[in-house]
Amino acid sequence: MDALQLVNTHVKLLAFDFLSVQSIPQEPTIFSRKGRRLSRAETVGIVVSRDLKANRFMKFDIDDGTGCIPCILWLNHESSRYFSRRCPSNVRLIAQMAADFASQVQLGVIARVRGKMSSYRGNLQITVSDVVIERDPNSQILHWLDCLRLARNCYDKVLVDPST
Amino acid sequence: MATIASGALVNLEELVPTSQHFKHGISLRVTGKLQDYDVETAVAVIVDRNASLKVDTQLLNINLRIGSTFQFIGELLLEPDKKAILKARVGRNMDGMDLNLYRQSLQLLRDFQAGR
Repeated sequence: MDALQLVNTHVKLLAFDFLSVQSIPQEPTIFSRKGRRLSRAETVGIVVSRDLKANRFMKFDIDDGTGCIPCILWLNHESSRYFSRRCPSNVRLIAQMAADFASQVQLGVIARVRGKMSSYRGNLQITVSDVVIERDPNSQILHWLDCLRLARNCYDKVLVDPST
Repeated sequence: MATIASGALVNLEELVPTSQHFKHGISLRVTGKLQDYDVETAVAVIVDRNASLKVDTQLLNINLRIGSTFQFIGELLLEPDKKAILKARVGRNMDGMDLNLYRQSLQLLRDFQAGR
């Protein structure tokens, strides 16, 4: 993995680490952790809250034992102007996939969530693009160990500008 | 939706009155084998090594099977006699989880957090 580029990589961060990421003024889609630019994240944890607004969105929280990460799953693809210029059959597929994710995310399940980092009213969250429900009860432990290894061996590495 | 408190990861044997986690209302995540379950009160007892904890499961809709391993997230309530009970808001069966790996990984996780 190129140590310089983390933008567009789903970085595996523990919740306490994710929640300490800084926003960058004038760049609403980019965040900063120890000087490294990030835009996407992956988390694994237990779903501890779920708030569904049918055909609009579902908010839920993932508790990984170090904190709770708020997640938002949009369900308004077929009414949103953002998608109005895209191919209707593709939009229907995306909407169906989001609806499937929403039905799978139930209180108490272990969910692996990937998506874009975003900020709402000053609070960090994940705008969900993928959800996988984990059946293996060891998946959380393995995620912790992944996060520790990646933080030490990759994300924490100090960048050296090759031009200097 | 209000921000929800994360359940701090604790081993049952760490839940002693001198522990920083032994506080009324604190949010915890506990893991143990189901030893007993009272259908009338919905109070379960989980054990891990030499420690045990009562868990109020009234809010849950899960199948509680004696002998299975469960993980609960909820708030610790201290009764007047200083006995503790966890008011669970989330619970799940964790049969198949490697408990030794869990304990070792939890220690690594704590060391990592302490070093931040």
